[in-house]
Amino acid sequence: MATTTATITLASSDIADNNLSISNTATLTTAGTDTGITETTGLARKKVATSSNTVLLDSGAGIAADVTADKSAKVYIKNINDRGDGTKWVNILLATVEIGRLYGGDFMFFPWSGGSGKDIEFTCESTSGTDATETTLEYTVFYE
Amino acid sequence: MATTTATITLSSADLLSDNLSLSSTMNLYQHGTTATGLEQLNYHRALLPVDGDFDLIAESAALSEKANYVYIINKNTDVTDYVIISINSEPIGRLYAGDWLFMPWDCDLTHATADSSIEVLPKVHDIHIEYALFHSGETLPTSGD
Repeated sequence: MATTTATITLASSDIADNNLSISNTATLTTAGTDTGITETTGLARKKVATSSNTVLLDSGAGIAADVTADKSAKVYIKNINDRGDGTKWVNILLATVEIGRLYGGDFMFFPWSGGSGKDIEFTCESTSGTDATETTLEYTVFYE
Repeated sequence: MATTTATITLSSADLLSDNLSLSSTMNLYQHGTTATGLEQLNYHRALLPVDGDFDLIAESAALSEKANYVYIINKNTDVTDYVIISINSEPIGRLYAGDWLFMPWDCDLTHATADSSIEVLPKVHDIHIEYALFHSGETLPTSGD
């Protein structure tokens, strides 16, 4: 059994009158147990220069074949691009549902209910619509 | 302008044959700016009754087309307890006891058949949850009296 931890720290000295300091560590386990997750895709990098939708993780196929709704999986994705003026981002989707925007330098970490059709996809966008600027994402999945 | 940072560290000494150590820090900036920080924050703790389906963070016009970031943690300790997180009726994933998520949130008011509110469905037992929304403005309900 492996021990893998994920720690988040959210900090600000001026978003409120008092300091904000949130920090928590999760130990990544299989669903409903305290047994550590033992599989990972490893850290991967994807570079695209297209305004079309791109499948980042093909659920139910390849390395994500074992990820299903009732199993435990955690996904980390980071947009490696520079932020620029904050008008370009990567729209992260689960199936066809938009989760959120990763601007340059942003990351996300979330549980993934995989299974057929539950692909994690992305589209490069800007304030004027889809965007074909070269964009690089780094990502990894921890799963059982 | 506020300065808020999020730092993630992923580590393991025995998942791979070599140590895993990944760390990244980001600033929480407003949409369409080079480096202007988000200035508003909602931070809550709630007890969610088991099998209740709730809007945890409701969509609103002022949140639409903006940079929003969400943090949610399941504070229960029973490892079988989990909460299903959904957007637009699409389950994103399960947060088991002690699990957290941090992600951007696209408050999308254009969806025809469902809303983009972040929904939670606690399973097995009541779930203690803490959550935060970092944003640049929300539409507050108008007082009824």
